[in-house]
Amino acid sequence: MNQRGQLLTVLLLLMTSAAPAFSQQPAHTAALPQHLRLRANFSPQSAEVLLDPAAPAWQSTPAQRIALHRTPPLYDTDPPASLEISFVEVRTLRAAGKLFVHLSWRDASADYVELPAVPDTPPEQRFLKEHTLGPERFFDAAAVMFPKDAPGGVVSPSLQMGDAQGPVSMYYWNAARGAMRMEAAGRGTTRRTGDSFSARAVYASGTWQVVLELPELPPATPLAFAIWNGSQLDRDGRKYFSVWHWLE
Amino acid sequence: MSRHQYAMVMDLNKCLGCQTCTIACKKLWTDRDGTDYMYWNNVETRPGLGYPRQWDRNGGGWKDGELQPGRLPTLDDYGAPWEYDYEQRLYEGSGKPVMPSPDPQSGCNWDEDVGALNGDDNFYFYLPRICNHCTYPACLAACPRQAIYKREEDGIVLIDQERCQGYRYCIAACPYKKIYFNEITGKSEKCIFCYPRLEKGEVNACAAQCPGRLRFVGILDDPESPVHKLVLVYRVALPLFPEKGTQPNVFYVPPFNPPRRGNYGKSILEDPRLPLDYLVYLFGPEVKDVIRRLEAELVRAQNGERSEVLQLLIGRDAATRYRIPAREQLVQIKT
Ligand code: SF4
Ligand code: SF4
Repeated sequence: MNQRGQLLTVLLLLMTSAAPAFSQQPAHTAALPQHLRLRANFSPQSAEVLLDPAAPAWQSTPAQRIALHRTPPLYDTDPPASLEISFVEVRTLRAAGKLFVHLSWRDASADYVELPAVPDTPPEQRFLKEHTLGPERFFDAAAVMFPKDAPGGVVSPSLQMGDAQGPVSMYYWNAARGAMRMEAAGRGTTRRTGDSFSARAVYASGTWQVVLELPELPPATPLAFAIWNGSQLDRDGRKYFSVWHWLE
Repeated sequence: MSRHQYAMVMDLNKCLGCQTCTIACKKLWTDRDGTDYMYWNNVETRPGLGYPRQWDRNGGGWKDGELQPGRLPTLDDYGAPWEYDYEQRLYEGSGKPVMPSPDPQSGCNWDEDVGALNGDDNFYFYLPRICNHCTYPACLAACPRQAIYKREEDGIVLIDQERCQGYRYCIAACPYKKIYFNEITGKSEKCIFCYPRLEKGEVNACAAQCPGRLRFVGILDDPESPVHKLVLVYRVALPLFPEKGTQPNVFYVPPFNPPRRGNYGKSILEDPRLPLDYLVYLFGPEVKDVIRRLEAELVRAQNGERSEVLQLLIGRDAATRYRIPAREQLVQIKT
Protein backbone atom coordinates (compact mmCIF):
# COMPACT_ATOMS: atom_id res chain seq x y z
CA MET A 1 0.00 0.00 0.00
CA ASN A 2 1.41 3.41 -0.90
CA GLN A 3 1.49 6.35 1.48
CA ARG A 4 -1.73 7.77 0.23
CA GLY A 5 -3.38 4.43 0.65
CA GLN A 6 -2.22 4.35 4.23
CA LEU A 7 -3.50 7.84 4.87
CA LEU A 8 -6.88 6.90 3.47
CA THR A 9 -6.97 3.81 5.61
CA VAL A 10 -6.38 6.00 8.64
CA LEU A 11 -9.12 8.34 7.52
CA LEU A 12 -11.42 5.40 7.01
CA LEU A 13 -10.73 4.05 10.44
CA LEU A 14 -11.38 7.45 11.95
CA MET A 15 -14.58 7.68 10.04
CA THR A 16 -15.88 4.32 11.00
CA SER A 17 -15.08 4.81 14.66
CA ALA A 18 -17.73 6.40 16.81
CA ALA A 19 -16.71 9.97 15.90
CA PRO A 20 -20.04 11.51 14.95
CA ALA A 21 -18.81 14.30 12.73
CA PHE A 22 -15.58 13.26 11.17
CA SER A 23 -14.41 16.00 8.85
CA GLN A 24 -11.57 16.98 6.69
CA GLN A 25 -10.28 20.53 6.96
CA PRO A 26 -10.56 22.15 3.55
CA ALA A 27 -8.43 25.24 4.31
CA HIS A 28 -7.68 26.84 0.97
CA THR A 29 -8.03 24.73 -2.10
CA ALA A 30 -4.63 26.03 -3.16
CA ALA A 31 -3.12 24.52 -0.04
CA LEU A 32 -4.66 21.14 -0.80
CA PRO A 33 -2.72 18.35 -2.43
CA GLN A 34 -3.44 18.11 -6.13
CA HIS A 35 -5.29 14.83 -5.87
CA LEU A 36 -7.98 16.33 -3.63
CA ARG A 37 -8.75 19.15 -6.03
CA LEU A 38 -11.24 19.14 -8.86
CA ARG A 39 -10.72 21.46 -11.78
CA ALA A 40 -13.96 22.79 -13.27
CA ASN A 41 -13.39 24.82 -16.41
CA PHE A 42 -16.05 26.84 -18.15
CA SER A 43 -17.53 25.34 -21.28
CA PRO A 44 -19.43 27.23 -23.98
CA GLN A 45 -21.54 24.12 -24.67
CA SER A 46 -25.24 23.84 -23.95
CA ALA A 47 -26.69 21.60 -21.25
CA GLU A 48 -28.14 19.38 -23.97
CA VAL A 49 -24.68 18.77 -25.43
CA LEU A 50 -22.94 18.20 -22.10
CA LEU A 51 -25.58 15.79 -20.85
CA ASP A 52 -24.37 13.37 -23.51
CA PRO A 53 -21.67 11.31 -21.76
CA ALA A 54 -19.96 10.72 -25.11
CA ALA A 55 -19.82 14.41 -26.11
CA PRO A 56 -16.41 15.52 -27.48
CA ALA A 57 -16.34 18.24 -24.82
CA TRP A 58 -15.94 15.50 -22.22
CA GLN A 59 -13.27 13.67 -24.17
CA SER A 60 -11.13 16.79 -24.16
CA THR A 61 -11.63 17.38 -20.43
CA PRO A 62 -8.93 15.83 -18.26
CA ALA A 63 -10.20 13.28 -15.75
CA GLN A 64 -9.37 13.16 -12.09
CA ARG A 65 -8.99 9.55 -10.96
CA ILE A 66 -10.60 9.28 -7.54
CA ALA A 67 -10.02 6.31 -5.28
CA LEU A 68 -13.08 4.41 -4.08
CA HIS A 69 -13.42 2.47 -0.86
CA ARG A 70 -15.96 -0.03 0.37
CA THR A 71 -17.99 1.04 3.36
CA PRO A 72 -17.26 -1.33 6.24
CA PRO A 73 -20.01 -3.92 6.85
CA LEU A 74 -22.91 -1.98 8.35
CA TYR A 75 -24.70 -4.97 9.83
CA ASP A 76 -23.31 -8.22 11.17
CA THR A 77 -25.57 -10.07 8.80
CA ASP A 78 -24.11 -8.43 5.67
CA PRO A 79 -22.19 -10.74 3.37
CA PRO A 80 -18.66 -9.40 2.79
CA ALA A 81 -17.96 -7.48 -0.41
CA SER A 82 -14.69 -7.20 -2.28
CA LEU A 83 -13.26 -4.08 -3.90
CA GLU A 84 -14.35 -4.67 -7.49
CA ILE A 85 -14.33 -1.00 -8.46
CA SER A 86 -11.22 0.78 -7.20
CA PHE A 87 -11.70 4.20 -8.75
CA VAL A 88 -14.08 6.51 -10.54
CA GLU A 89 -12.91 9.02 -13.13
CA VAL A 90 -14.43 12.43 -12.54
CA ARG A 91 -14.65 15.34 -14.97
CA THR A 92 -16.36 18.59 -14.12
CA LEU A 93 -17.41 21.48 -16.37
CA ARG A 94 -19.23 24.70 -15.63
CA ALA A 95 -21.73 25.67 -18.30
CA ALA A 96 -25.13 27.30 -18.70
CA GLY A 97 -25.17 28.31 -15.04
CA LYS A 98 -24.78 24.68 -13.90
CA LEU A 99 -22.09 22.32 -12.81
CA PHE A 100 -21.89 19.19 -14.94
CA VAL A 101 -20.24 16.15 -13.42
CA HIS A 102 -19.14 13.29 -15.67
CA LEU A 103 -18.45 10.02 -13.85
CA SER A 104 -17.05 6.91 -15.45
CA TRP A 105 -16.16 3.63 -13.85
CA ARG A 106 -15.52 0.07 -14.92
CA ASP A 107 -18.16 -2.45 -13.91
CA ALA A 108 -18.22 -5.86 -15.54
CA SER A 109 -22.02 -6.19 -15.27
CA ALA A 110 -24.62 -3.57 -16.11
CA ASP A 111 -27.19 -4.18 -13.38
CA TYR A 112 -30.05 -2.36 -14.96
CA VAL A 113 -33.46 -2.94 -16.48
CA GLU A 114 -36.08 -0.78 -18.06
CA LEU A 115 -38.80 -0.81 -15.42
CA PRO A 116 -42.30 -0.38 -16.81
CA ALA A 117 -43.93 2.95 -16.22
CA VAL A 118 -47.00 2.59 -14.02
CA PRO A 119 -50.03 3.10 -16.30
CA ASP A 120 -52.31 6.03 -15.60
CA THR A 121 -55.45 3.94 -15.19
CA PRO A 122 -55.78 2.50 -11.67
CA PRO A 123 -54.99 -1.24 -11.43
CA GLU A 124 -58.58 -2.23 -10.59
CA GLN A 125 -59.65 -0.97 -14.01
CA ARG A 126 -57.06 -3.03 -15.86
CA PHE A 127 -57.01 -6.75 -16.49
CA LEU A 128 -53.22 -6.94 -16.78
CA LYS A 129 -50.93 -5.56 -14.11
CA GLU A 130 -47.22 -4.76 -14.38
CA HIS A 131 -44.94 -7.53 -13.22
CA THR A 132 -42.18 -7.72 -10.67
CA LEU A 133 -39.47 -9.67 -12.47
CA GLY A 134 -36.56 -9.71 -10.03
CA PRO A 135 -37.40 -9.16 -6.38
CA GLU A 136 -33.80 -10.11 -5.58
CA ARG A 137 -31.96 -7.75 -7.93
CA PHE A 138 -30.30 -4.44 -7.14
CA PHE A 139 -29.33 -1.82 -9.67
CA ASP A 140 -26.13 0.14 -10.33
CA ALA A 141 -26.21 3.70 -9.07
CA ALA A 142 -24.01 6.75 -8.47
CA ALA A 143 -24.27 9.91 -6.43
CA VAL A 144 -22.52 13.19 -5.73
CA MET A 145 -22.80 14.67 -2.25
CA PHE A 146 -22.04 18.27 -1.27
CA PRO A 147 -22.91 20.57 1.64
CA LYS A 148 -26.49 21.73 1.47
CA ASP A 149 -25.72 25.19 2.74
CA ALA A 150 -23.33 27.44 0.85
CA PRO A 151 -19.85 26.22 1.65
CA GLY A 152 -17.15 28.46 3.00
CA GLY A 153 -17.38 27.18 6.52
CA VAL A 154 -14.16 25.93 7.99
CA VAL A 155 -15.23 22.35 8.41
CA SER A 156 -16.77 20.08 5.79
CA PRO A 157 -19.70 17.90 6.83
CA SER A 158 -19.29 14.31 7.95
CA LEU A 159 -18.73 11.90 5.10
CA GLN A 160 -21.42 9.72 6.62
CA MET A 161 -24.31 11.58 5.03
CA GLY A 162 -23.42 14.90 6.70
CA ASP A 163 -24.25 15.78 10.28
CA ALA A 164 -26.56 18.03 12.27
CA GLN A 165 -24.31 21.06 11.80
CA GLY A 166 -23.51 20.18 8.22
CA PRO A 167 -26.54 18.94 6.28
CA VAL A 168 -25.79 17.58 2.82
CA SER A 169 -27.47 17.41 -0.53
CA MET A 170 -27.19 14.33 -2.74
CA TYR A 171 -27.74 14.04 -6.47
CA TYR A 172 -28.49 10.35 -6.85
CA TRP A 173 -28.83 8.49 -10.12
CA ASN A 174 -30.04 4.89 -10.33
CA ALA A 175 -29.69 2.90 -13.55
CA ALA A 176 -33.29 1.66 -13.35
CA ARG A 177 -35.06 4.25 -11.25
CA GLY A 178 -33.62 7.46 -12.66
CA ALA A 179 -32.39 10.63 -10.98
CA MET A 180 -33.57 11.87 -7.62
CA ARG A 181 -32.46 14.47 -5.15
CA MET A 182 -31.93 13.59 -1.51
CA GLU A 183 -30.96 15.38 1.65
CA ALA A 184 -29.49 14.19 4.92
CA ALA A 185 -28.06 15.45 8.18
CA GLY A 186 -26.29 12.33 9.38
CA ARG A 187 -26.47 8.62 8.79
CA GLY A 188 -30.00 7.26 8.81
CA THR A 189 -31.61 10.64 8.07
CA THR A 190 -31.53 10.47 4.27
CA ARG A 191 -34.78 11.45 2.62
CA ARG A 192 -35.88 12.04 -0.93
CA THR A 193 -36.86 15.62 -1.64
CA GLY A 194 -39.26 14.47 -4.36
CA ASP A 195 -37.36 16.46 -7.00
CA SER A 196 -35.57 15.00 -9.95
CA PHE A 197 -32.72 16.48 -12.00
CA SER A 198 -31.18 15.93 -15.42
CA ALA A 199 -28.89 12.96 -15.77
CA ARG A 200 -27.92 10.69 -18.64
CA ALA A 201 -25.98 7.46 -18.71
CA VAL A 202 -24.50 4.98 -21.17
CA TYR A 203 -23.03 1.58 -20.51
CA ALA A 204 -20.59 0.27 -23.11
CA SER A 205 -17.62 -2.11 -23.09
CA GLY A 206 -17.75 -2.70 -19.38
CA THR A 207 -17.90 0.98 -18.43
CA TRP A 208 -20.61 3.20 -17.09
CA GLN A 209 -20.49 6.86 -18.11
CA VAL A 210 -22.95 9.11 -16.35
CA VAL A 211 -23.44 12.87 -16.53
CA LEU A 212 -25.24 14.60 -13.67
CA GLU A 213 -26.44 18.18 -13.89
CA LEU A 214 -25.80 19.85 -10.54
CA PRO A 215 -26.58 23.43 -9.62
CA GLU A 216 -23.80 25.99 -9.92
CA LEU A 217 -21.50 25.39 -6.96
CA PRO A 218 -18.91 27.97 -5.89
CA PRO A 219 -15.20 27.18 -5.81
CA ALA A 220 -13.98 25.48 -2.63
CA THR A 221 -17.17 23.41 -2.43
CA PRO A 222 -16.31 19.89 -1.28
CA LEU A 223 -17.78 17.01 -3.29
CA ALA A 224 -17.82 13.34 -2.41
CA PHE A 225 -18.73 10.49 -4.74
CA ALA A 226 -20.46 7.18 -4.28
CA ILE A 227 -21.01 4.18 -6.56
CA TRP A 228 -23.37 1.29 -5.93
CA ASN A 229 -22.71 -2.00 -7.69
CA GLY A 230 -25.99 -3.89 -8.03
CA SER A 231 -24.35 -7.27 -8.54
CA GLN A 232 -22.65 -6.86 -5.14
CA LEU A 233 -26.08 -6.33 -3.49
CA ASP A 234 -25.20 -2.66 -2.97
CA ARG A 235 -27.92 -0.38 -1.64
CA ASP A 236 -28.21 1.99 1.29
CA GLY A 237 -24.82 2.51 2.96
CA ARG A 238 -23.48 -0.67 1.36
CA LYS A 239 -21.52 1.00 -1.45
CA TYR A 240 -18.27 2.52 -2.70
CA PHE A 241 -17.40 6.01 -1.53
CA SER A 242 -14.68 8.61 -1.94
CA VAL A 243 -13.35 11.15 0.53
CA TRP A 244 -14.12 14.85 -0.01
CA HIS A 245 -12.59 16.60 -3.01
CA TRP A 246 -12.69 20.35 -3.43
CA LEU A 247 -13.83 22.24 -6.49
CA GLU A 248 -11.34 24.81 -7.69
CA MET B 1 -43.54 -5.57 22.79
CA SER B 2 -46.91 -4.03 22.27
CA ARG B 3 -49.65 -3.41 24.82
CA HIS B 4 -52.00 -5.90 23.21
CA GLN B 5 -51.45 -8.50 20.54
CA TYR B 6 -53.72 -9.79 17.82
CA ALA B 7 -53.20 -13.48 17.16
CA MET B 8 -54.51 -16.15 14.82
CA VAL B 9 -54.81 -19.88 15.47
CA MET B 10 -55.14 -22.26 12.52
CA ASP B 11 -56.26 -25.83 13.09
CA LEU B 12 -54.27 -27.84 10.54
CA ASN B 13 -56.55 -30.84 10.99
CA LYS B 14 -59.25 -28.95 9.13
CA CYS B 15 -57.42 -27.35 6.21
CA LEU B 16 -58.66 -28.54 2.81
CA GLY B 17 -55.91 -26.87 0.80
CA CYS B 18 -58.59 -25.12 -1.23
CA GLN B 19 -56.69 -21.79 -1.42
CA THR B 20 -59.88 -19.78 -0.88
CA CYS B 21 -57.97 -17.79 1.75
CA THR B 22 -55.14 -17.16 -0.74
CA ILE B 23 -57.56 -15.84 -3.34
CA ALA B 24 -59.51 -13.75 -0.81
CA CYS B 25 -56.26 -12.11 0.23
CA LYS B 26 -55.02 -11.67 -3.32
CA LYS B 27 -58.21 -10.05 -4.58
CA LEU B 28 -58.28 -7.74 -1.62
CA TRP B 29 -54.65 -6.69 -1.25
CA THR B 30 -52.27 -7.86 -3.99
CA ASP B 31 -54.07 -7.34 -7.27
CA ARG B 32 -51.93 -4.31 -8.08
CA ASP B 33 -48.89 -3.49 -10.23
CA GLY B 34 -45.79 -5.34 -9.10
CA THR B 35 -47.65 -7.68 -6.75
CA ASP B 36 -48.44 -10.57 -9.07
CA TYR B 37 -45.93 -13.00 -7.57
CA MET B 38 -46.83 -12.22 -3.96
CA TYR B 39 -49.21 -14.18 -1.78
CA TRP B 40 -49.39 -12.52 1.62
CA ASN B 41 -51.44 -15.58 2.51
CA ASN B 42 -50.23 -18.80 0.96
CA VAL B 43 -51.06 -22.44 1.59
CA GLU B 44 -48.28 -24.97 1.03
CA THR B 45 -48.15 -28.75 1.09
CA ARG B 46 -46.03 -30.18 3.89
CA PRO B 47 -43.63 -31.88 3.73
CA GLY B 48 -42.68 -29.88 0.68
CA LEU B 49 -40.70 -27.05 -0.79
CA GLY B 50 -42.87 -24.25 0.51
CA TYR B 51 -43.32 -20.75 -0.84
CA PRO B 52 -40.89 -19.23 -1.53
CA ARG B 53 -39.05 -22.47 -2.26
CA GLN B 54 -37.01 -23.69 0.74
CA TRP B 55 -37.91 -20.60 2.76
CA ASP B 56 -37.27 -22.53 5.97
CA ARG B 57 -33.60 -22.90 4.95
CA ASN B 58 -33.00 -19.29 3.99
CA GLY B 59 -31.72 -17.96 7.32
CA GLY B 60 -32.96 -14.93 9.22
CA GLY B 61 -34.42 -14.65 12.70
CA TRP B 62 -32.56 -14.38 15.99
CA LYS B 63 -29.89 -16.43 17.74
CA ASP B 64 -28.43 -15.43 21.10
CA GLY B 65 -29.90 -11.97 20.69
CA GLU B 66 -28.25 -11.43 17.29
CA LEU B 67 -29.96 -11.12 13.92
CA GLN B 68 -28.98 -13.98 11.65
CA PRO B 69 -27.95 -13.54 8.00
CA GLY B 70 -30.58 -14.47 5.45
CA ARG B 71 -30.89 -14.90 1.72
CA LEU B 72 -33.18 -13.01 -0.65
CA PRO B 73 -35.37 -15.45 -2.59
CA THR B 74 -35.36 -15.09 -6.39
CA LEU B 75 -38.47 -14.75 -8.55
CA ASP B 76 -37.98 -18.39 -9.51
CA ASP B 77 -38.09 -19.35 -5.82
CA TYR B 78 -41.50 -17.70 -5.56
CA GLY B 79 -42.60 -18.95 -8.96
CA ALA B 80 -42.68 -16.60 -11.93
CA PRO B 81 -46.28 -15.59 -12.73
CA TRP B 82 -47.55 -16.39 -16.19
CA GLU B 83 -50.23 -15.12 -18.53
CA TYR B 84 -52.33 -17.01 -21.06
CA ASP B 85 -52.10 -16.31 -24.77
CA TYR B 86 -55.84 -15.80 -25.30
CA GLU B 87 -55.23 -13.26 -28.05
CA GLN B 88 -53.38 -15.52 -30.45
CA ARG B 89 -55.20 -18.73 -29.70
CA LEU B 90 -58.80 -17.69 -29.27
CA TYR B 91 -59.21 -14.48 -31.19
CA GLU B 92 -56.68 -14.92 -33.96
CA GLY B 93 -57.68 -18.54 -34.29
CA SER B 94 -54.39 -20.43 -34.36
CA GLY B 95 -56.35 -23.58 -33.63
CA LYS B 96 -54.14 -24.56 -30.72
CA PRO B 97 -55.21 -24.70 -27.09
CA VAL B 98 -54.60 -21.75 -24.83
CA MET B 99 -51.19 -22.10 -23.19
CA PRO B 100 -49.54 -20.33 -20.28
CA SER B 101 -46.57 -18.19 -21.08
CA PRO B 102 -43.79 -18.21 -19.99
CA ASP B 103 -43.84 -21.98 -19.59
CA PRO B 104 -44.43 -22.40 -15.84
CA GLN B 105 -41.44 -23.96 -14.08
CA SER B 106 -42.27 -23.25 -10.47
CA GLY B 107 -45.01 -21.65 -8.46
CA CYS B 108 -46.82 -21.23 -5.22
CA ASN B 109 -47.65 -24.77 -3.93
CA TRP B 110 -45.97 -26.23 -7.02
CA ASP B 111 -45.52 -29.60 -5.28
CA GLU B 112 -49.17 -29.76 -4.25
CA ASP B 113 -50.10 -33.07 -2.57
CA VAL B 114 -46.72 -34.67 -3.26
CA GLY B 115 -45.88 -35.04 0.41
CA ALA B 116 -43.51 -37.78 1.53
CA LEU B 117 -43.47 -41.42 2.49
CA ASN B 118 -44.07 -42.72 5.99
CA GLY B 119 -43.18 -46.36 5.64
CA ASP B 120 -45.17 -47.48 2.61
CA ASP B 121 -47.79 -44.77 2.95
CA ASN B 122 -47.79 -41.33 1.52
CA PHE B 123 -48.67 -38.49 3.86
CA TYR B 124 -49.06 -34.74 3.58
CA PHE B 125 -51.01 -31.89 5.07
CA TYR B 126 -51.54 -28.23 4.27
CA LEU B 127 -49.85 -25.34 5.99
CA PRO B 128 -51.52 -21.95 5.49
CA ARG B 129 -49.11 -19.08 6.20
CA ILE B 130 -49.38 -15.36 6.76
CA CYS B 131 -47.00 -12.91 8.46
CA ASN B 132 -46.75 -13.94 12.10
CA HIS B 133 -46.87 -10.37 13.44
CA CYS B 134 -44.06 -11.47 15.71
CA THR B 135 -43.46 -10.17 19.21
CA TYR B 136 -39.78 -9.68 18.34
CA PRO B 137 -39.95 -9.04 14.60
CA ALA B 138 -36.58 -9.61 12.93
CA CYS B 139 -37.82 -7.63 9.93
CA LEU B 140 -38.33 -4.55 12.09
CA ALA B 141 -34.93 -4.85 13.71
CA ALA B 142 -33.18 -5.25 10.36
CA CYS B 143 -34.59 -2.12 8.74
CA PRO B 144 -32.03 0.71 8.82
CA ARG B 145 -34.78 3.20 7.91
CA GLN B 146 -37.05 2.35 10.84
CA ALA B 147 -39.74 1.94 8.21
CA ILE B 148 -41.25 -1.11 9.95
CA TYR B 149 -43.27 -0.60 13.11
CA LYS B 150 -45.33 -2.70 15.47
CA ARG B 151 -48.60 -1.11 16.51
CA GLU B 152 -48.68 -0.42 20.22
CA GLU B 153 -52.43 -1.03 20.50
CA ASP B 154 -52.64 -4.44 18.81
CA GLY B 155 -49.17 -5.66 17.85
CA ILE B 156 -49.79 -5.63 14.09
CA VAL B 157 -46.50 -5.22 12.18
CA LEU B 158 -46.64 -2.78 9.26
CA ILE B 159 -44.27 -1.19 6.72
CA ASP B 160 -44.48 2.57 6.35
CA GLN B 161 -44.57 2.91 2.56
CA GLU B 162 -43.27 6.48 2.78
CA ARG B 163 -40.16 5.55 4.75
CA CYS B 164 -39.38 2.28 2.95
CA GLN B 165 -36.54 2.60 0.43
CA GLY B 166 -36.71 -0.96 -0.84
CA TYR B 167 -33.40 -2.07 0.70
CA ARG B 168 -34.85 -5.52 1.50
CA TYR B 169 -32.87 -6.20 4.67
CA CYS B 170 -36.25 -7.12 6.17
CA ILE B 171 -36.81 -9.88 3.61
CA ALA B 172 -33.44 -11.44 4.38
CA ALA B 173 -34.08 -11.09 8.13
CA CYS B 174 -37.59 -12.58 8.24
CA PRO B 175 -37.14 -16.30 8.95
CA TYR B 176 -40.60 -16.94 7.45
CA LYS B 177 -39.93 -14.93 4.25
CA LYS B 178 -43.21 -13.11 4.66
CA ILE B 179 -42.12 -9.78 3.19
CA TYR B 180 -42.21 -9.22 -0.57
CA PHE B 181 -40.52 -6.64 -2.76
CA ASN B 182 -42.64 -4.69 -5.24
CA GLU B 183 -40.31 -3.75 -8.07
CA ILE B 184 -42.77 -1.29 -9.57
CA THR B 185 -43.15 0.84 -6.42
CA GLY B 186 -39.60 0.03 -5.29
CA LYS B 187 -40.92 -0.80 -1.81
CA SER B 188 -41.45 -3.85 0.34
CA GLU B 189 -44.90 -5.09 1.31
CA LYS B 190 -46.39 -7.60 3.70
CA CYS B 191 -49.55 -8.97 5.27
CA ILE B 192 -51.29 -6.21 7.19
CA PHE B 193 -53.46 -8.62 9.23
CA CYS B 194 -56.43 -6.92 7.51
CA TYR B 195 -56.21 -4.08 10.02
CA PRO B 196 -58.66 -1.90 8.05
CA ARG B 197 -61.23 -4.70 8.38
CA LEU B 198 -60.51 -5.33 12.06
CA GLU B 199 -60.97 -1.64 12.76
CA LYS B 200 -64.48 -1.98 11.34
CA GLY B 201 -65.15 -5.07 13.44
CA GLU B 202 -64.72 -7.46 10.49
CA VAL B 203 -62.43 -10.46 10.75
CA ASN B 204 -59.47 -10.96 8.39
CA ALA B 205 -60.53 -11.85 4.84
CA CYS B 206 -58.60 -15.16 4.86
CA ALA B 207 -60.49 -16.23 7.97
CA ALA B 208 -63.87 -14.94 6.80
CA GLN B 209 -63.71 -16.90 3.53
CA CYS B 210 -62.27 -20.15 4.91
CA PRO B 211 -64.73 -23.00 4.26
CA GLY B 212 -62.75 -25.21 6.65
CA ARG B 213 -63.55 -22.76 9.46
CA LEU B 214 -60.14 -23.41 10.89
CA ARG B 215 -59.02 -19.90 11.68
CA PHE B 216 -59.51 -18.32 15.10
CA VAL B 217 -58.82 -14.64 15.62
CA GLY B 218 -58.67 -12.44 18.69
CA ILE B 219 -56.46 -10.65 21.16
CA LEU B 220 -53.98 -13.05 22.72
CA ASP B 221 -54.10 -11.30 26.08
CA ASP B 222 -57.90 -11.10 26.14
CA PRO B 223 -59.01 -13.97 28.44
CA GLU B 224 -62.33 -14.19 26.59
CA SER B 225 -60.81 -14.67 23.15
CA PRO B 226 -60.63 -18.10 21.48
CA VAL B 227 -56.96 -17.57 20.67
CA HIS B 228 -56.16 -16.93 24.32
CA LYS B 229 -57.93 -20.14 25.30
CA LEU B 230 -56.36 -22.31 22.62
CA VAL B 231 -52.82 -21.01 23.07
CA LEU B 232 -52.57 -20.15 26.75
CA VAL B 233 -55.30 -22.07 28.60
CA TYR B 234 -55.77 -25.33 26.68
CA ARG B 235 -52.26 -25.09 25.23
CA VAL B 236 -53.06 -26.92 22.01
CA ALA B 237 -51.57 -24.46 19.50
CA LEU B 238 -47.91 -23.77 18.77
CA PRO B 239 -45.95 -21.29 16.66
CA LEU B 240 -44.02 -22.43 13.61
CA PHE B 241 -40.24 -22.76 14.09
CA PRO B 242 -40.14 -21.33 17.61
CA GLU B 243 -36.33 -21.57 17.56
CA LYS B 244 -36.18 -18.70 15.06
CA GLY B 245 -36.63 -16.44 18.07
CA THR B 246 -39.18 -13.94 16.74
CA GLN B 247 -42.09 -15.23 18.84
CA PRO B 248 -44.79 -15.58 16.19
CA ASN B 249 -48.39 -14.68 16.99
CA VAL B 250 -49.83 -17.13 14.50
CA PHE B 251 -50.28 -20.53 16.12
CA TYR B 252 -51.11 -23.94 14.73
CA VAL B 253 -53.06 -26.84 16.12
CA PRO B 254 -50.81 -29.62 14.78
CA PRO B 255 -52.31 -32.33 12.57
CA PHE B 256 -52.64 -35.10 15.10
CA ASN B 257 -55.10 -37.64 13.86
CA PRO B 258 -55.15 -38.12 10.10
CA PRO B 259 -57.37 -41.13 9.44
CA ARG B 260 -55.94 -44.30 7.95
CA ARG B 261 -57.63 -47.56 7.20
CA GLY B 262 -57.25 -50.08 10.01
CA ASN B 263 -56.00 -47.59 12.54
CA TYR B 264 -59.25 -46.52 14.08
CA GLY B 265 -58.91 -45.69 17.73
CA LYS B 266 -55.14 -45.77 17.79
CA SER B 267 -53.45 -42.57 18.85
CA ILE B 268 -50.80 -40.98 16.73
CA LEU B 269 -48.28 -41.60 19.49
CA GLU B 270 -48.80 -45.37 19.42
CA ASP B 271 -49.23 -45.58 15.66
CA PRO B 272 -47.81 -42.49 13.98
CA ARG B 273 -49.67 -41.90 10.78
CA LEU B 274 -47.33 -39.06 10.04
CA PRO B 275 -43.76 -39.00 11.33
CA LEU B 276 -43.57 -37.15 14.60
CA ASP B 277 -40.04 -36.03 13.70
CA TYR B 278 -41.49 -33.89 10.99
CA LEU B 279 -43.94 -32.21 13.36
CA VAL B 280 -41.09 -31.65 15.81
CA TYR B 281 -39.12 -30.07 12.97
CA LEU B 282 -41.98 -27.62 12.31
CA PHE B 283 -43.25 -26.90 15.81
CA GLY B 284 -40.49 -27.91 18.22
CA PRO B 285 -40.46 -30.74 20.80
CA GLU B 286 -43.49 -29.33 22.62
CA VAL B 287 -45.64 -30.65 19.80
CA LYS B 288 -45.59 -34.07 21.47
CA ASP B 289 -47.21 -32.65 24.61
CA VAL B 290 -49.79 -30.86 22.49
CA ILE B 291 -50.66 -34.07 20.68
CA ARG B 292 -50.96 -35.90 24.00
CA ARG B 293 -53.39 -33.25 25.21
CA LEU B 294 -55.42 -33.43 22.02
CA GLU B 295 -55.52 -37.24 22.06
CA ALA B 296 -56.76 -37.13 25.66
CA GLU B 297 -59.54 -34.73 24.65
CA LEU B 298 -60.49 -37.05 21.84
CA VAL B 299 -60.69 -40.04 24.18
CA ARG B 300 -62.83 -37.97 26.53
CA ALA B 301 -65.24 -37.10 23.72
CA GLN B 302 -65.31 -40.70 22.52
CA ASN B 303 -66.32 -41.71 26.05
CA GLY B 304 -69.32 -39.43 25.86
CA GLU B 305 -67.88 -36.67 28.00
CA ARG B 306 -67.82 -33.07 26.92
CA SER B 307 -64.52 -31.64 25.67
CA GLU B 308 -64.39 -27.87 25.83
CA VAL B 309 -61.30 -27.91 23.67
CA LEU B 310 -62.85 -29.92 20.87
CA GLN B 311 -66.07 -27.91 21.10
CA LEU B 312 -64.05 -24.76 20.60
CA LEU B 313 -62.00 -26.31 17.79
CA ILE B 314 -65.19 -27.25 15.94
CA GLY B 315 -65.72 -23.50 15.72
CA ARG B 316 -69.41 -23.67 14.90
CA ASP B 317 -70.00 -19.99 14.27
CA ALA B 318 -68.18 -16.75 13.78
CA ALA B 319 -68.86 -15.69 17.37
CA THR B 320 -66.98 -18.76 18.58
CA ARG B 321 -64.04 -18.34 16.25
CA TYR B 322 -63.52 -14.61 16.36
CA ARG B 323 -63.47 -11.95 18.97
CA ILE B 324 -62.71 -8.58 17.42
CA PRO B 325 -62.87 -5.83 20.03
CA ALA B 326 -63.71 -2.28 19.03
CA ARG B 327 -60.69 -0.02 19.25
CA GLU B 328 -61.97 1.68 22.41
CA GLN B 329 -62.47 -1.72 24.04
CA LEU B 330 -58.87 -2.69 23.33
CA VAL B 331 -57.50 -0.40 25.99
CA GLN B 332 -59.94 -1.81 28.53
CA ILE B 333 -58.65 -5.35 28.27
CA LYS B 334 -56.65 -6.02 31.40
CA THR B 335 -53.18 -7.29 30.67
S1 SF4 C 1 -43.20 -13.12 10.22
FE1 SF4 C 1 -41.45 -12.05 9.33
S2 SF4 C 1 -42.39 -10.23 8.41
FE2 SF4 C 1 -43.88 -11.01 9.88
S3 SF4 C 1 -43.41 -9.87 11.79
FE3 SF4 C 1 -42.30 -11.85 11.87
S4 SF4 C 1 -40.25 -11.31 11.11
FE4 SF4 C 1 -41.62 -9.65 10.46
S1 SF4 D 1 -59.42 -21.25 2.97
FE1 SF4 D 1 -59.20 -22.41 4.89
S2 SF4 D 1 -59.41 -24.57 4.23
FE2 SF4 D 1 -59.03 -23.41 2.36
S3 SF4 D 1 -56.77 -23.47 2.14
FE3 SF4 D 1 -57.23 -21.59 3.29
S4 SF4 D 1 -57.01 -22.17 5.44
FE4 SF4 D 1 -57.19 -24.11 4.25
